[in-house]
Amino acid sequence: MGVTVLQQYPVPENKTGTYVIDLLTKRILALGATQAGQFLVDCESYLSHPTMGSTKTVHILHNSEQPASVFSILESGTKNIHVIADGLFDLLMMKLSQHYTSKKQTKIESKGPKFELGDFCIKLGSVTMNQNFKGILIEVEYRPCVMANAVWGLLREFLQGILGSTISVQPPQHLLSRMNEIYTPIDTIYQYLEHFSAYRKITGLRSA
Amino acid sequence: MANSVNISIEAPIENQIQEITYDGQEIYQAPLSMSENLARLAQKIDFSKTDDEFCNIKKEGENGSEVKSEEDKEPGYQSSLWPWDSVRNKLRNALTEVSVLADVLSIAKEKRYMVLDPIQADPIESRPMVQVYGRKKALSAAGAVLLNGVERLRASETMRMTRNMPDFHIDLLRLRQNWRLKKVSNTIVGDLSYRTAGSKFSQTGVFEVTKAPEEQIAAAMNAPGAAPSALRVTVPPELQGVAFISVRCQKEQEDVVTATLNSSALNCPGSLPGDGAELHWQQKLEAAQNVLYCKELFARLAAEAVQLDASIPHIVVGNRIMLTILPSIQLMIGLCHNNGQNNNNTEGTKSQGSYVKAEHDHVLEHSLHQLLRAVHHSNTHHPFPHPATGPLGPSKRRSLAGPMGADRYELMEMSREQSLLEQIVQQAQHFFMRRRGEYVLDTIAKEVKDPLIVSHWNALNSPTHSCVKINIMAYGYDAVCRTSLVVHVGEKTLKCICRDGKVRNLSYELQELRDLIFCQIYQHQMTGVQAVGRCMGWQLLASSSHLGAGPVEPLANASSCLLASPNGDRMIAIRCEPSVGIQVFIAQSPKKDFFVSELVQDKKWENLGGAFKEVKLEKMEGKNFLNKMELLMACLSSPS
Repeated sequence: MGVTVLQQYPVPENKTGTYVIDLLTKRILALGATQAGQFLVDCESYLSHPTMGSTKTVHILHNSEQPASVFSILESGTKNIHVIADGLFDLLMMKLSQHYTSKKQTKIESKGPKFELGDFCIKLGSVTMNQNFKGILIEVEYRPCVMANAVWGLLREFLQGILGSTISVQPPQHLLSRMNEIYTPIDTIYQYLEHFSAYRKITGLRSA
Repeated sequence: MANSVNISIEAPIENQIQEITYDGQEIYQAPLSMSENLARLAQKIDFSKTDDEFCNIKKEGENGSEVKSEEDKEPGYQSSLWPWDSVRNKLRNALTEVSVLADVLSIAKEKRYMVLDPIQADPIESRPMVQVYGRKKALSAAGAVLLNGVERLRASETMRMTRNMPDFHIDLLRLRQNWRLKKVSNTIVGDLSYRTAGSKFSQTGVFEVTKAPEEQIAAAMNAPGAAPSALRVTVPPELQGVAFISVRCQKEQEDVVTATLNSSALNCPGSLPGDGAELHWQQKLEAAQNVLYCKELFARLAAEAVQLDASIPHIVVGNRIMLTILPSIQLMIGLCHNNGQNNNNTEGTKSQGSYVKAEHDHVLEHSLHQLLRAVHHSNTHHPFPHPATGPLGPSKRRSLAGPMGADRYELMEMSREQSLLEQIVQQAQHFFMRRRGEYVLDTIAKEVKDPLIVSHWNALNSPTHSCVKINIMAYGYDAVCRTSLVVHVGEKTLKCICRDGKVRNLSYELQELRDLIFCQIYQHQMTGVQAVGRCMGWQLLASSSHLGAGPVEPLANASSCLLASPNGDRMIAIRCEPSVGIQVFIAQSPKKDFFVSELVQDKKWENLGGAFKEVKLEKMEGKNFLNKMELLMACLSSPS
């Protein structure tokens, strides 16, 4: 598990998502990367019942890189609390359906091909919410390093190499405070949640 | 019965077995409820029979009222239960008949249309004497049966008392202390399978317990040695006899035909010591259990051999598994089962026995047994702590994998577990490596006398890893110089750690180990000479362990050193080539054969030291090379 940076890639006005994904795939393959299967990150959000006091949101996320784990993040106003559990947590959430109701229409996921290039692992994810294309998220992981601070420069350079200089690459909001700490899988999940929340707010739908 | 005894009690099966699943679990039918039971019993009533009887006895009036009372109940059941249909039909028929009868009776009572006349019954011809004789005969026959039984009982009891015959129930009690028994209707059956110990083998191990006939007990009592028993156990024919797993390692055969011929000659003892019939039940059951165990082990190994994809595929033929563990070395695992029925087979094996070169390997057989026991144990003993919720069985690491966010690779690593076959192959490989290593070290120690080669095998080792320490030293000079190295013997590789800390990984080709030891021997000689020289006050002028000069060596490099005597007038040069041996040269100054020539005129040049002359080492005094060198140095140091 190395340091991962999630980057949003804007889709031009008159282009479709698949076109952009194909373009990026060609670019990455030209660099000498090899395709290494598919990946999927999905997120489902549950709202607490009004009788429980102030409304809280629980996000349940799955990452195909950690197939045995279920990540849950509880948003309670000021602070986010996360719990990593095993697969049975999904069943537990079903039992809690009285207290936490699922917002089915906000189920969002990012999936697409995964590439390996030396020590880097690149994932091109197209984000869909209820089968509606929302945008493109690019995940780049540098596997030998676990400290974000030590590798940020390298990752930025790599990202700019792939995405082109027109796109400004900034360190993710979540990582800013954790640059000197050991990177863990939940950090990736937080980044995904950040982007997913942003996508949910965008109402404009784009055709894939 | 002074001692208290533990008896396990099992309830007999009261319910019928509905289904037996493939893993041997029995699913019972639920017991009938009260109403179902009543319905079932009611269906069994034979109404026609009772009709006839009632007609004969002519108690129609009473019968009619009874039927009526039943009839009253009937409509309620009719509506709710279909099974009552036949009952209803029969009752209806009965009602019709009874009504007809009532009509007839009422007509007869009027005495106007019908009169009932009593019929004169035929007088039965009674011959009392015949009856008496008949009864007497029947009684005496019954009495004879009873008396016979009493006689037999008394006889057996007295015989038991006087001759110390074993008691069936005491024996049964002893059997129950060690084996699982249960009573099924009139028979006692037991289970000798390893199910309760964690086995998941499908074959059952059911045996039956019966009482031995008295003649056999008497015969057993007369026979010397054998302890008589009133019990007789019957094991199924597939578990009779003796079985064992034969494991042998052998050089690969030239062609498969001879390999199969030889391997079919698995020596198998014909039967257990003592004849089969007179065996004590304990031994008999233990043998049968062993047969079952061996069968399970072999079935598992065969399944794994088929599943595993090795570079050279494993061959499973009949009751044999052939595996290639190292190039040209085969491991052969066979199931030998002799149930005493195919006697001609055992004779055949005896005649072929002389062909078999490879010996049965008891250690590997034992390891196989151990491995399967470990599997059984892990099936029943789950690692602690047990989770309060969630499945039981996965390891602690696997249960933590989710919360710790383990990735795919880690999960794959966790799910990988070595099969029995892989483990036994590793053990066999290690066994071979160890034996070959021993052989190489022993032959070198035999060949090379000059530096002594002493190898110490560590007594503590694992089935797949052992370690040997090799000391190279010269007799009498072990304090001056000794070279030691450690060789770790693994499954397919050797790891040598030399004195200078260098680690060399060697393959299973043992020529590599041999070459390495020879290099170490010559290196030892060179360092030994330098150490002796230091003790003698000689001065080391130069030394090189990898000489560039001279012909190319087939193994390692030539090495050399140059020593000067304390006062500097003599020099010894030693050159060591692993393929040739050690050569020693000496030179002295002033040289004795210095003559003034035209080119070199000055006398002072005689101090330069002369040409080196070779010393014939084999002609020298001294026990070994270092001793010879010490003598040579002593000789050259003394003022001549």
